[in-house]
Order: sequence, then C-alpha cells, then structure tokens
Amino acid sequence: MENIKSSPLGIPNSNSSKMASGSPNTMGQPMSSSYENRWLSTGEDTKKGSPLVSRRKSITPEENKPNNSKEANKGKKDTRPQNPNEPPKKAQKDMTKAERRAMQEKQRQEKQSRVAAGLPKGAKQAAELEVKKNPSPVSADTDDTKQKKKALSKNQQNQVPWLLHLDVPKTSDALTKDLHPAVLQLGLYFSEHKIVGSNARCVAMLEIFSKVISDHKPPSDATFSRHIQKHLDPHIAYLLSIRPMSLSMRECIRWLKKEMADIVEEDPPLSDDESRTRLIERIGHFIRERITMADQLIVQNGLQKIQDGDVILTYAKSSVVESLLLETKKKGIDFKVIVVDSRPLFEGKHLLRRLVAAGIDCSYHLLSSIYVALKSVTKVIMGAHALLNNGAVYSRIGSSMVAMAASDKQIPVMICCETYKFVNRTQVDSFVLNELGNPDDLVQTTTNTYDAKKSDTAVLANWRDQPDLRLLNILYDVTPSKYITLVVTEVGLIPCTSAPVVSYKFNCIIKTCIDFYFYFYYYLLYRFGVNTSNEEFGKRVA
Amino acid sequence: MANTSNQYDVVTAYQTSLNDSELSTPVAIFKALTDFVRHSTDIYAAPTMSEFMQTLEKAAQSIRQESQGTSKEKPKNQHKATIAILAGVDLFMRFVTRNSHDFSVKFTKLKKKKKKKLSEEAGSFEDFKENLLSRASLILEKASCAREKAAAIGAQFINDNAVVLVQGYSRVIMSVLYHAADIQHKRFKVYVTEGRPNSDGIQAVAALRKAGIPCRAVLDSAVGYIMDKVDMVFVGAEGVVENGGIVNKIGTFQISLVAKALGKPVYAVAESYKFVRVYPLNQYDIPSETPEIVTFTSRRRKSFSTIADAETVEDLALSNPSVDYTPPQYITLLLTDLGVLTPSGVSDELIKLYV
Repeated sequence: MENIKSSPLGIPNSNSSKMASGSPNTMGQPMSSSYENRWLSTGEDTKKGSPLVSRRKSITPEENKPNNSKEANKGKKDTRPQNPNEPPKKAQKDMTKAERRAMQEKQRQEKQSRVAAGLPKGAKQAAELEVKKNPSPVSADTDDTKQKKKALSKNQQNQVPWLLHLDVPKTSDALTKDLHPAVLQLGLYFSEHKIVGSNARCVAMLEIFSKVISDHKPPSDATFSRHIQKHLDPHIAYLLSIRPMSLSMRECIRWLKKEMADIVEEDPPLSDDESRTRLIERIGHFIRERITMADQLIVQNGLQKIQDGDVILTYAKSSVVESLLLETKKKGIDFKVIVVDSRPLFEGKHLLRRLVAAGIDCSYHLLSSIYVALKSVTKVIMGAHALLNNGAVYSRIGSSMVAMAASDKQIPVMICCETYKFVNRTQVDSFVLNELGNPDDLVQTTTNTYDAKKSDTAVLANWRDQPDLRLLNILYDVTPSKYITLVVTEVGLIPCTSAPVVSYKFNCIIKTCIDFYFYFYYYLLYRFGVNTSNEEFGKRVA
Repeated sequence: MANTSNQYDVVTAYQTSLNDSELSTPVAIFKALTDFVRHSTDIYAAPTMSEFMQTLEKAAQSIRQESQGTSKEKPKNQHKATIAILAGVDLFMRFVTRNSHDFSVKFTKLKKKKKKKLSEEAGSFEDFKENLLSRASLILEKASCAREKAAAIGAQFINDNAVVLVQGYSRVIMSVLYHAADIQHKRFKVYVTEGRPNSDGIQAVAALRKAGIPCRAVLDSAVGYIMDKVDMVFVGAEGVVENGGIVNKIGTFQISLVAKALGKPVYAVAESYKFVRVYPLNQYDIPSETPEIVTFTSRRRKSFSTIADAETVEDLALSNPSVDYTPPQYITLLLTDLGVLTPSGVSDELIKLYV
C-alpha cells in the first residue's frame, strides 16, 4: 500500500504529510463526505481486492492504536497521528520569537480554514475527524493487522460490489452462548436449507418460540410478561442473522412482539403461568388461523378458478400451490401441470415428485424454455414469499420472468398468498432488499452424484482466484403488479393493488374475522376431515 | 305448503318488479327479498334465526335458478342479466348475514351479562326481524336514489361542446345525459350506437331527441370510424367486478378497445350495488348464462342438406352472448354514487363491504 493515498477524486491527499508545512492548501481540499468515501473509495479498493471502507470503519480504531502507540513511543508529546516522514517538531521553548510568531500565524490560518471547511475549531478534534474519514495508510510493519484484514475480506472480495449491502454480518460465538438449544438447532436447519419455504420456516420458528416461552423461567425480580420480550430478543436476532431477509418471518415476529406487549398491558396483570399459557395459546391460534386454515381457504377460493381442460404452469415449489393442485385432482377435475424449475435449488423437482405420486399429468421444464412451455398453458399459478404495499410480489428468483412471459402471451397469472405475508414495505426493484445465497452453489453444474468426484474439474472451481470474476447467487425477486392478474387469499380473490387495504382491514377487525373463520374452520374440518397437524410442515425437507 | 307459496311469491314479485322498466335488476331483487322477509314475519314465524336464514337462502337460490331456466318467454328487450342478479342477491345476503352477525354478537354479549331465558330469545328474534326490515327499507331507499347520485357525478365530466359516445340504451347513462342537459345546462352532442341485436339504440335516440339533446345513431361497426370525432365515451354496467372491470352489453369491450387505442377516455357509470365479488380471468370466465354459446356445434351438419337456412335475426341473438367483459385497463374511471373511483379502488370498496 502506498504511503500517500490519493483520494477518490484524484486530489492529492495532503492528510498528515503537509499538516505542519503551513501551506493554505492543507485543509483546502474538498472535505470528502462519508458517502463519497463509502462508495467511491469502495470502487477503488475492490479493484485491488483489498478490504473495504465499510469494514475499515471497524478496523480504524485497531489501526490507529498501533500508530498512536508508535508515535507515543517516539516520545512526542503531540497525540496527533503523524506520518513518519514528517520532520520532528521543535518544542516552543527552543523557537525564536519570529519562529513563534510564524507558528502562531500558521495556526491561526489553519483554524480559519478549518472553520471554513466546517470542522470543529480545535486542532486535535479536527485531526481526529480527519483520521476517521481518511484513515492513514498502514505502514509496513503492522503485519498482524493486515492479516486480520485479509481474513475478514476473504468472503467479501469476491462479492459483487454494488450488492454488498445485502451481505450478512457474521454472528460471534458470544452471541450464541445463552440461547435455547432448540433455537440453535433451528438456525442450523435454516442455514443448511433443511427447512425451506416461507410457511414452513414461519411455522417452525413459531413452534420453537412456543417451546422457548414454555421453558422460560424469569429471574426473580421480573415478572414473566415483562421479561419474556427481552429474553426472546437475542433468539430473534440470531435467527434473523442466519437468513436475513425472510419478510414473512419478520411479520410473524412483529405480530409476536405486539402480543407480548399486549400481555404486559393487561389489566389486572396476569400471573406468570397465565401469561405463559396465553402466549402459547395465541401462537397456536396464529399458526392455525393465519397459516393452516388460511391455506385451506385459499385452496377453496382457488378451486373456483380451475376448470376442466386447464393447463396450469407453476414455478419452483410453493406449499399452497401444491395443496391447491392436489385438491384439484381430488375433485376429479381434468387438468395438466407444467412445472418450471431453475438452478441451483431445483425446488421444482420436489413438487414434481409429489404431483406425480398423486397421479397428476405433469411435465417439467427449465426456466430457459419458458416460452416453449407457455405454448399451451391456460393459467399460471405461483406462490409468494411476501406481498408488498404497492402490489408487487416478492417471490423466488425467476418468478418475475415467468410472470412477464405469461402476461406477454395474455395468460392470466394467479398468486396464492396468505394475508400474514402482506408486508408494509414498498419496493420497485429487486436489489434494494434481497437475500444473497452462497455463490459456491453455482459452481457445481452436474447434479449427478456419480459425477461428484469430478467436481474439481468444474469450470468455475477456481473462481475465487480470478480477480475480475464475481458469482452472484441471489434468492428473491420482485414482480411488478401489472404482470399479476389476481391474488388468491383467504379473504377471497383480490387484485394485487388491494394488498394494503386487506392487511389494514385485517388488523383492524381481526377479532370478528377470527370468530367467523373459526366456524368456517370447524366446518371445513367436518366436511373434509383435513389433517391439521403441523408436523406436515416440519416434514417438508429438501 | 307455506314454504312453496312463499317461494312462489318471491319469484313472481321479482318478475313484476322487473317489468317496471325503471328499476334495475338488483333493486328489483332487493324489493322482492324484502317483501319475502316481511311475509315470513306474518305468515309463518321461523322460530330460529338459522331456519330463517335457510329459507332466505332458498328464496335467493330460486330467483337465480328461475332466471337461468326460462329462456323463451322473456320479452325481447330483457335479456338474462345474470351478473346483476348475482350482485343483488349477494349484496342482500351479505347485508342480512352482517346484520345477524352483529345482532348475535350483541346478543351473546347481553346474554353473558344478564343471562336471558330462552323465551326472551324468541322475542329478541322478532326484534331482529324488525331491525332487518327497517334496515332493508333503508337500503331500498338508498338504492333508488343511487342512480341520481351517480348521474350527478357522471354529468360533471361532460364539458360544454363535448361530443359523447354512448352504447345502446342504458338507464344510468340516460340519467347522466338528462342531468347534464337539464340540471347542469350543458350543451353537447351524442353519438349513439345501434346496439344490435336488440337495436335499443334507436329508442335511445328517440328519447334524447325528445329531451332536446342533439344526437345521431351510428352503426356498431362504425365506432372505429367516428371515434376520432368523439371526446369521451360513456358506458353503463350490469356488474362491476372485483378488479374494476365491467360486465356490460356485448360490444362494450370493442368500444373500449377502440377508445383506448385512440386515446379517448372511457367512463363507466354504475351504482354501487352493482359491485359483485366475481373475478374473471378473461372473457369466458364471466358467469353468463351459456358459457358454451360460441362453440362450433354439430347441429350445422344436420341442417346442411336443407335449404340454405340463413339464421334469422332472432336466432342470431339467441345463439350469441349478450354480455362481455371489459378489463380494467381499458376503463379510465368509474363514476358511482360513492364517488369517482379508479378501477383498482373497486376492490377496496368491496373489501370494506365484505370483509
């Protein structure tokens, strides 16, 4: 690393080297804002494959410490970190009167220019600010800090630079020490992709939280109701750090926090056991009503739209769509299914297996042949991970392509989505918020396990060594509302632009709805003898 | 026996109300069903609420089935307005269910607090019916003046010296035009499409001439030709579906397509009781009377040998659909008695009503 680092705009960085020289240009360079530094110097740095400013902010204290200690070791009274090239400053006693006056003049000018540039008046504070914004280059003998930086950058240096905001912060071990073992196990399942699908994950998470709540014993000085939220927070943080952008999980957690807050508000205050049982009961309600029963209602509503002779296209695997197709078969409707699938997850294969086992006439395509697949299709039915406020659908990557192709051919696109997935967020593109998967999943191009031995002959096996190559494995995308014909929810068939109204309404009058749906639920149970156990969700493994 | 006589009452009552040409179908249904409720109060008191709901349900079903059954005895200008029937029946049933639900909630709350006895429950059921009747008559009142309200709102959109295109004879659109001419004193001209096969456009022209509005009849096929001379298009609606599209007389979709292609606004005027919770995916998904009406049948081959039997106009009318579906992207605005709505606003209203 050079000693003099030029700032992003090519202006020579007169950071510390010219500080004592007294030229008016010391502080004359434009004060680079943190935004410029973050994005522009980031671009410069990744070219060299070196750590980024975002990481640097946490590193600077470490960097400065060795620097400072070195200066201190040199015996200087001045605490400002300085370039070793600088000539040692004379103590004031040694200077002549003229020299002292020159120094005063120089200091006054510096102060003026500092004030003009908007920095604090004191020299020390200004210097600290300077250091924070323009961290001084590391000198050659801080090898251990360099290695530390390299270790941190091993993953980041191969990420697509403009998608770094999606990166996952790593959890330290200290965080996982006090967690309930069930939560740790769940986190492991999530990270290994053993539990996939938004419904399955939500149900698993809520059930585990139920267990955590039932096992929790508050410390003697706090009541259960007040302490439970604090107790659950680290668990929630841990789970969110494993799979960061699960929007439906966030909604569930938001609901759970509201419930916990409600319990605290309860007057007269509930006893520990009462609040515990109530919370567990409410979680059970939520799972039953807004997930299990909602799915059944969605199936009933969706059945209205499927007739004899339909050719239905579906993408990847959605638990609701699967239930809908199986129920359609049970009703004896004559229809065909085309399953479209994509790398690297190949979720469609699992759906295909189940549909074929049920005796449905199926065919299988990859996403690249979507237009060929759409030739004879009458309807497209897909699931969703979340429904955004502007009516856009946040779903598995590739679904927007399917929707666009279908709407191009005037084929109606139906999305099946429960109302608990309606998120109070607006997104117009797929990059602002998304989830990055593991880029190494893309390397393996053969799926045959026999050929797995030859995996090191995969073309991209050494992609990390290529300085200009980045692999991007992104998991979700956003489909604009104009490509969606309708959304099937448990409250009926709605246009996707009505999503915010439904979620607002639902939250307002949720109590009366619950009564109504309870009767409907038991009616359904009676009529169809549906299996309501939640183990089903746990079994939906890869 | 009382059951069947009551049922019969509903159907005939409905049909007689239909004959009053000024009443639209959903309002006629409201009337018939309200009368039914009133009669059931007098003739035989259904002892429990659930039985009452069942009989009401049966009556509603009978109206729906009756309209699907008879096809020959209908007068010429009254085609089976299936979707309007759906709208009316659904709305009435929903209104009653809501009422009963509110009532039962209120009642169970009362019961918890005061522990009423069973005999009192029967008494309160009478109260429920009274309540229902008074609210039903309120709805009827609202429904009758809904058309005027929608007309007032619709007339705002007609400017002076505007040239308006309307399709056939629609009662709502007529009231819009009268309102604009008589009450708002605007000067405008109207093109009226003939509206085959029942050619009710001619009647519309006669009525407009009587009201002193300059108008002209044009062929249905000439819509593309005159669209450039037109400033705006007004269409009525038999039903407004959930995504904001409308179901209206056959030919509406064509007019809207041409208007959209030439950049002319299409305003659909409808009263709010025509909103229905149907969501068609395409033209063939609407609950019209004969979904297979436009398939190729083998009937032709049999009559091949006979004289080149050109289909008469009546045959053509019967063997072709009478309504079509206009998707929401071709409709600029919906002018209703609730106000001016965009097509996506319809779902919001429906959700408020039904959820």
